[in-house]
Amino acid sequence: MKKFLSLLLVVVMSLSIVACNKTPGTTSPSPTGQGDNKESVTIKFANYAILETGYEEFWNSVKEGFEKKYDHITIEWVTAPYGEIVNQVINMAGGGDKVDIMFAEIGWTPTLEDAGLAVPVDTILTEEFLSDFYPSILDAASIDGKVYALPMYVSPYVLYYNKDLFEKAGLDPNSPPKTYDEMLEMAEKLSKLTTEDGNKVYAFGQTTASVPISGSSLTSMVYNFGGRVLNEEGKLDVDTKEFKDAMEMLKLLDEKGYNPQNAKLKDLRNLFALGQLAMYYDQSWGFNGVSSINPDAKNFTASAAPLAGGNGTGESVIEAHTLVLMDNGEKQKEAVRLLVEYLVTPEVLNDYLADITPAYPARQSMKDIEAVVNSSVLKGAANSLDKARPTPFIPAMNDLNLELTTLAQAITVGGKDIDTAIEEFKTAANALID
Amino acid sequence: MVSTARKIKKPLLKRSTGDKLFSGILVLPAVVITFIFIIVPIIDSVIKSFLDFRVKNIISNQPGTWNNFENYIKLFQNQKLTGAVINTFSFVIFVVALQFIFGMILALILNSNIKGARFLRSIMMTPWVVPTIISALIWMWIFQPQYGLMKYLVQVFTGGTVADFAILNNPSTALLGIGIAALWKQVPLTTLLLLAGLQNVPDDMLEAARIDGAGKVRTFFSIVLPYMKSVINVSMTMAIISNFKQFPLIWTMTGGGPDNSTTTLAILSYREAFVSNNMGSGAAVTTVWMLLMLVVVFVYNKLMGETEVD
Repeated sequence: MKKFLSLLLVVVMSLSIVACNKTPGTTSPSPTGQGDNKESVTIKFANYAILETGYEEFWNSVKEGFEKKYDHITIEWVTAPYGEIVNQVINMAGGGDKVDIMFAEIGWTPTLEDAGLAVPVDTILTEEFLSDFYPSILDAASIDGKVYALPMYVSPYVLYYNKDLFEKAGLDPNSPPKTYDEMLEMAEKLSKLTTEDGNKVYAFGQTTASVPISGSSLTSMVYNFGGRVLNEEGKLDVDTKEFKDAMEMLKLLDEKGYNPQNAKLKDLRNLFALGQLAMYYDQSWGFNGVSSINPDAKNFTASAAPLAGGNGTGESVIEAHTLVLMDNGEKQKEAVRLLVEYLVTPEVLNDYLADITPAYPARQSMKDIEAVVNSSVLKGAANSLDKARPTPFIPAMNDLNLELTTLAQAITVGGKDIDTAIEEFKTAANALID
Repeated sequence: MVSTARKIKKPLLKRSTGDKLFSGILVLPAVVITFIFIIVPIIDSVIKSFLDFRVKNIISNQPGTWNNFENYIKLFQNQKLTGAVINTFSFVIFVVALQFIFGMILALILNSNIKGARFLRSIMMTPWVVPTIISALIWMWIFQPQYGLMKYLVQVFTGGTVADFAILNNPSTALLGIGIAALWKQVPLTTLLLLAGLQNVPDDMLEAARIDGAGKVRTFFSIVLPYMKSVINVSMTMAIISNFKQFPLIWTMTGGGPDNSTTTLAILSYREAFVSNNMGSGAAVTTVWMLLMLVVVFVYNKLMGETEVD
């Protein structure tokens, strides 16, 4: 009898496991699968910013406002931390659960396109709506001539500097450097400063940590010198004096102790907010990270255009926060179109760009909005967008950016010879590109 | 009159056969689950390591295509694999060896009836219950090069001579920094396991050794260690495996840098599969990684098996 009961228990437990593995969606009716013309629609919106301080309020107000305007549409957030959201979206799609729209960095576009998730935006948005966007900005989000991500707002890599530290070092706080040579002269004075509690002040911050965004920032630094990492065909183009000049500058900054070693952008923002960093490169919206650490930062922060180095004229890469759209059928696409047209408007974005995320609008009709015209943070770098260039996309963009950070680390903390490090970079990068 | 001579039914199976059958049925669910959730994915991963198989294949439900060992050829050609293998072995040897030494020292201390042993045992387990990601973030903060606690302590203890201590920024010390964090997290469990083993060493054997005039060191090496062999074997095998596959600590603390100095097989596999979105290449790393781990565990067990208790 005992044996029989034990066997029965085993069978019951086995069946329970099988039952638990059953996918919930197989029996429950789809929430959007019924109704007529105004049938309810739920948009799955992947958005890492919901989890970040300073952004949550804005995005929840977007949800509230949109759902009030279109009461048959509901936004359902899909969230994950910044570094994990792409994998989250891809893994969900792999399991048959594709989101409808994603708030993304422009650099994630090739990965999402290569995964077969991002669709050309003109398959969902109207030509009339798209015609208001700057063509050069749409080009920056294009692959093979098709726009795969809609930029909400854009930024070059802006040079943020601390006016108080400039004054303390005997420099004119209204005359930031325009070239790397000028910057080096100022850095010499700035690096002699210490904070009130005796901590070192770093003169210049260029991120080199092992995260893709640092690679993107390094690409921008190469652009400052008139070089590039990839040519128009997406092939490596680093056997140039300009590329080497940029790497030599990076090494010099490290040798002189001006640049905090192996720092992430958030480390640089932290140091800048605490008055331990005099100048650094960041996307314009990086200022949100600074002000969330030190709300008084707006009193000492000013911006300047990217520096010119070597033969370069201070060009930079275009960074953007974008909306990546995915195809889940006509009903979903229509709801997504309404959401995008609601979201990328001066009414919704003005306060956001003024108070949370200083950046330049991607729509021509928004160029004179109050948030941009009156932004004390953006004023100094106002014309720098004219010199910003798009970067060619390849599917392994994130990995290529990581290889760039490896190169930067090799010549700085690794102490390697620049030529050797560039050769190693070429071997690793070509394996990704081919 | 009721017959008392009840007929005894002959059982269908012999008792021993029935017991075996019963045991087999009990084990069956575990075997089926192991097969479905462990064996099948391993076979699937090995197959995919020979294919051009990317994320888009999963999403569009398209099978991968055979690519003439290209995943393996690329891995060996760009020398990433060699570096990752060296880093993995360095990390495993360093952490496991020190884990055993520190774990044993702590276990001996806790077994020596010192005052507050029970309290110490509870406190000591704290790092083990902290999630790995949180441990990584704590140690990143401690090692932070500009305002970290370690930088401050080094500066104080060296009288300001070393003012820029940054263990995670130097390619030759970054793996050491992660190793320290791994030890902090893993030593408690090893200590607990070894302590359990220590408490099972028979008192009469220890008493006999003492009467025979054996000193503490001799007793430890000739009585205690041999009696703890099975516990040491299990705890060290667990340590080898968990450090061989260590991912969150390394990825969070350094992301494999600086200059690939902390890129282990786990990091390389993740980068290939989930950063480059090349599942085939990621599977190739995983296959090499799995084979190496099998060899290491096999060699370790072989070595441990050869030292029998006299």
